[in-house]
Amino acid sequence: MTHHRELAALGLMLALAAGSSVVAAEQSQQSAGISADLAQVQRGKGLYADHCSHCHGFNMVSAGNVTFDLRTFPRNQRERFFNSVTNGRDNRMPPWGDVLTQDEIGDLWAYICTGGK
Amino acid sequence: MKRLLIAAVVAAFLPAGAQAQTAQDLAKGAGDTKNVLNYGMGYNLQRYSPLTQINKETVKRLEPVWNYSYDDNRSEESQPLVYNGVLYVTTNSATMAVDAKTGHQLWKTKVDYPPETPRIVCCGIINRGAALYDGKVFRTTLDANVVALDAKTGKEVWKQNAIDFKTGYSMTVAPLVADGVVITGISGAEFGTRLFIDGWDAATGKHLWRTYTVPAPGEAGSDTWPGDTWQHGGGSTWITGSFDPELHTVYWGIGNPGPFNAAVRKGDNLYTDSVLALDPKTGKVKWHFQFSPNDPFDYDSVAEMVLADIKVNGKPTKVVMDANRNGFFYVIDRTTGKLLAANNYVKVNWAKGIDLKTGRPIDTDVIVKARAGEKVELWPSILGGKNWEPIAFDPHRGVAYANTLNFGMPYKAIPAEYKAGDWYVGMDLTQGWIWPKTADGKDGPRGYLKAIDPMTGKAKWEAPSDMPRFSGVLATAGGVVFSGQLTGEFEAFDADTGHKLWHFQTGSGVEGQPVTWEQDGVQYVAVSTGIGGVYSLFSGDERLKGIPAGGSLWVFAVRK
Ligand code: HEC
Repeated sequence: MTHHRELAALGLMLALAAGSSVVAAEQSQQSAGISADLAQVQRGKGLYADHCSHCHGFNMVSAGNVTFDLRTFPRNQRERFFNSVTNGRDNRMPPWGDVLTQDEIGDLWAYICTGGK
Repeated sequence: MKRLLIAAVVAAFLPAGAQAQTAQDLAKGAGDTKNVLNYGMGYNLQRYSPLTQINKETVKRLEPVWNYSYDDNRSEESQPLVYNGVLYVTTNSATMAVDAKTGHQLWKTKVDYPPETPRIVCCGIINRGAALYDGKVFRTTLDANVVALDAKTGKEVWKQNAIDFKTGYSMTVAPLVADGVVITGISGAEFGTRLFIDGWDAATGKHLWRTYTVPAPGEAGSDTWPGDTWQHGGGSTWITGSFDPELHTVYWGIGNPGPFNAAVRKGDNLYTDSVLALDPKTGKVKWHFQFSPNDPFDYDSVAEMVLADIKVNGKPTKVVMDANRNGFFYVIDRTTGKLLAANNYVKVNWAKGIDLKTGRPIDTDVIVKARAGEKVELWPSILGGKNWEPIAFDPHRGVAYANTLNFGMPYKAIPAEYKAGDWYVGMDLTQGWIWPKTADGKDGPRGYLKAIDPMTGKAKWEAPSDMPRFSGVLATAGGVVFSGQLTGEFEAFDADTGHKLWHFQTGSGVEGQPVTWEQDGVQYVAVSTGIGGVYSLFSGDERLKGIPAGGSLWVFAVRK
């Protein structure tokens, strides 16, 4: 192995280590509230199947050309999600404020954030 | 002089009445090449035209004449009507009259429905077209209204609410006018509703009759529903029926039972997955034939009941034909309701065949296990061997042209709990689909346009497509069959070989119902384009990413 290659390999290892530590940090953050989260995701999944899947696709799989591909919904726009689901959007996405509670929309949000996996 | 003047004045006021479509005009619709007066291009729903200007030779020179924007980005499955040089078209959001030669809009009347309406629409925001009669245009709306507009101006003449939509009723169906009665169906079997067919007075909108497709206790057939299950029994009616004016009989297909989970409603569940022969004046059932008793698989039988006079064992017979969602092609004597033939036209694994004596399917263990709650591999899938997309029947070739589906699915029933306004199916919707594979393991075609012999179910030819076609089919005496692709191509095929002769990219997925007519010596073909129907919503087929939504109407003719 040449010196150059060794350096490159070291760099790669460092990069990988850095990456995995980020992942690990995220995992530990998630596992902090994991039992509550899982139940919430499960509830969200059920609500999604009952109210949303006939437009946004089974398991959230959709080509996104007719309705929004929810797997791509920005995870940092929680407020927009609550607003769009509560009030509807563009006269195309129906409003759900009279059917779903804010807690239930929170469950849906938890499920949407999993990307359907 | 005075007389002449009066005559002129009378004439000026007359057109609306004098030119109005009469019951006789509608009855002759199938042979009227100058107009398209009926849904299905004739009361028989054959979608066949005797015109020949567009034929196997000239179709290569077919070109767009104009395009008209619907200003709507939903699924465009509407069939245009044509009368005296005017096209009448619908979307979920508007009714429009367009000059057939120039594509100029003559009037547009918007449909307003509450924004929460789409919540209770199972499978796409759709309207399938209008009916014409006596100077009026009749249509239904997503929030379950039936509307009559003045054909000249688009002004509303009357509007009637069929039922409060909120607990799961919606209307997408093109009305049928038979013996002067406006007949409408309704959707909603996925929401635990109990459905019906209505008759309305054409002039005033007065409600004349309602025939429920699921009987209440005490009515004929009610013993096929245990306990209270009839209350949520479904039986939708969302595709326009056919009409035999000589027999004064309407043939209307009935949808799936609710919920899909069959274990909760042990029994045949009449009249779900059936065809009803009805008296248009009273809505009374003359006879019924059930395709799929105690159906667990959403083998909704609403799709078109095509009328034809064909030879059966050498004897000319008046029949009704149906490429049923359950995978079998049925031929039934339309005078008596007696089954004449039923053969599979796609891969079927839930039944070995249909018993011609009883009309009942011969079950395999697939359906037995499915009813018992076990997970099974099902062919065809719950979308059927053919979904709503209407077939064409060429009475001279004796061939039915159908856009068939070629995929299965893992099916598992689960408990369903009724809650008003909620999806009520009792089936695990997370299981996905079973897509076809070729011998070498590649993705196979998910659909075929097939030329089917109605008596055998066998295909004379089949034209495969990667994604299934969900457009209507149109057959012509010119030997050209028209169809469309979800990827946007409007296509023409050789009626005898299935060889593709021509296509044109329409800009969005074609889910419309092509029609043809002749005006001033020119044969025109029209079709709506605009993706958003059941396959794009449920398949998860990500190859559709590059197919933009956006509804419009295309009209074509042969370049001179
Ligand atoms: C009748 C069909 C339909 C149903 C049912 C439906 N949606 Fe939508 N949804 C749409 C359409 C269409 C859009 C795209 C709207 C637009 O931007 O024009 C959309 C957009 C969205 C968006 C993106 C809004 C934004 O801010 O851009 C979210 C989030 C969403 N839907 C969530 C849901 C959830 C959660 C449910 C179930 C409670 C649901 N939808 C049910 C049709 C539907």
